[in-house]
Amino acid sequence: MIRLRNVTKRFTDGDLPLEVLRGVDLDVAPGEMVAVVGPSGSGKSTLLYVAGALDRDFGGEAVVAGIALAGLSPGARAELRNRAVGFVFQSFNLLQGLSALENVMIPGLLRGDGTPVAELRARAGEALARVGLGSRAGAPPARLSGGERQRVAVARALFAGPAVLLADEPTGNLDAVSGEGVIRLFREAADAGLSVLVVTHEERVSRAATRVLHLADGRLA
Amino acid sequence: MNALAACVGAAALAFFLALGLGVAAASHRMFPADSRLVEVVPSGVALGGVLGGGRLDDAAVARLRALPGAADAWPRLSLRVPIAASRPPEGLSYNWPPGLTLQLPIVGVPPGLLAADVPTSRFADRGPDEPIPVVLSRRLLEVYDKTIAPAWNVRRLPPGVSLVGLQIPVRIGFSIIPQKTEDVVRDARLELVGLSDRVPLYMLAMPLDAARRLHAEYGKADQGYTQVTVAARRAEDVPALTAAVRRMGFAVDEGERATAERVGTIVAITTGALVFLAAVMCALAALAIAQSLSASVRARVKEIAVLEALGAAPGDVRAIVLLEGALVGVAGGVVGLALARGLALLADRAAARLLPDFPFRPDTFFAFPPWLLALGVVVPAVAAVLGALAPAATAAHVDPARTLS
Repeated sequence: MIRLRNVTKRFTDGDLPLEVLRGVDLDVAPGEMVAVVGPSGSGKSTLLYVAGALDRDFGGEAVVAGIALAGLSPGARAELRNRAVGFVFQSFNLLQGLSALENVMIPGLLRGDGTPVAELRARAGEALARVGLGSRAGAPPARLSGGERQRVAVARALFAGPAVLLADEPTGNLDAVSGEGVIRLFREAADAGLSVLVVTHEERVSRAATRVLHLADGRLA
Repeated sequence: MNALAACVGAAALAFFLALGLGVAAASHRMFPADSRLVEVVPSGVALGGVLGGGRLDDAAVARLRALPGAADAWPRLSLRVPIAASRPPEGLSYNWPPGLTLQLPIVGVPPGLLAADVPTSRFADRGPDEPIPVVLSRRLLEVYDKTIAPAWNVRRLPPGVSLVGLQIPVRIGFSIIPQKTEDVVRDARLELVGLSDRVPLYMLAMPLDAARRLHAEYGKADQGYTQVTVAARRAEDVPALTAAVRRMGFAVDEGERATAERVGTIVAITTGALVFLAAVMCALAALAIAQSLSASVRARVKEIAVLEALGAAPGDVRAIVLLEGALVGVAGGVVGLALARGLALLADRAAARLLPDFPFRPDTFFAFPPWLLALGVVVPAVAAVLGALAPAATAAHVDPARTLS
């Protein structure tokens, strides 16, 4: 689950302070898919990164997967992201030097809990099969279509069995068919009990969401 | 480029160190003087027993043996009875120039001096009717093969031949200077019982008792020992021991030991300078790696941010970059070592072709002991990791939120 209370975030633009989030309250329960919509520059991505423990310089309270983010060490935040949070980005952000299978395995490799690589490979293969890419495991990202890359990214985000799935404009670079496929995967993740938070400015995404919130002027409505 | 820099640094380090070690080993074969040995000789000014010094006799030997820091003392007695060889040794066929008579310079030494090389039981006087055991300098064989044999146009020693047991027919009392020939000249045999680097290069060593016996047989007056070899317990004791010997009124023959020390010092200084140069090259390689990895980190900052989003902690990111550096260093080290071995081989072949055949010329001028092989990989790896420290710190401080926005 995701719980944000009175979250504030400031940037400095030259000498001018810029308040991007002004006292945001947000709850995403397990099984919910919440879409946050708003104009460009409204702070949607910032909200996502605060919720995903990627941005630590914020005010207010944030609890993700039952863990309060305030005061967590960098190592603890990294472990939270690895075990409980899955990220999907607009530009896919797959590592070019690795195959689709190896990209999916990364969270398992970073966990460093001694799981044999062979087992990680097997689980990554299953994850790719679940998103319909079992036959493309050995392909590098350059040989995948946009939709396929995003599905690999979703498989990677779900590989470690997170409680929370965060997506930043996941269909922004996809055609209609591919986008629908990715949206379906998010719905399936929510139905499986994850708390899914998607920031988007696309209606097709917000139509699939349980709730739609609007972020404007640093506030959520 | 990174690996190339590490490779060149490693190759230079291994090559110069191996060269230094090889040349040091070769010079030690040429000048095998034991750094713990002090050669005591009578002072040039003999002031008798009142002011110390004087003759090197048994009492003097006992006093030298009792000096602080001395482990043992062995007297040497130059044989004053001439011994000459006019026929080749039996059992070893080679051309003996017609009419050649060799005057054999011989020194009498106690068995203990050569005990490390020759069993004392074999180096004992057997009496007047038996062959006299003698010991040659190992280095003399090399000098014979490379210098004497070519000069005399005689055959070199067959490879692998063991000269131990060789019997040399001699004439005791005969001198190539007629006035020095003794009244009594008799035939005898010398038997080579071993080789030792403690025997002076151009001399034979016989048991001290045999030398004394010959002196008595030919009525030679007791003039004391020619020299006493004192062994220090440790090389560090030598300066104090030398000073004590001089206070006793005797002199110290630095001779070969000083030459060996000088050669050793020159080799050490030259090796040190070359290794320093190689270390500088490794440091430059570290800088090159730092620069290259920094550029690589800047180019991969988004990748790093993605890894952090997936759960990589700053320590993980730092470790990944350091590991990259270490792998470059290890790879460079391994290739550099292979390059150094190859260059050493080429250098040895060139030396074999271009250098004249001089005594003690080594088969190789290089030595690659296991610790050097390990060093050739470890040093570049460490240099590379040091070079990777700054880029690793930069990578660990990537702000994923800002980078991915």
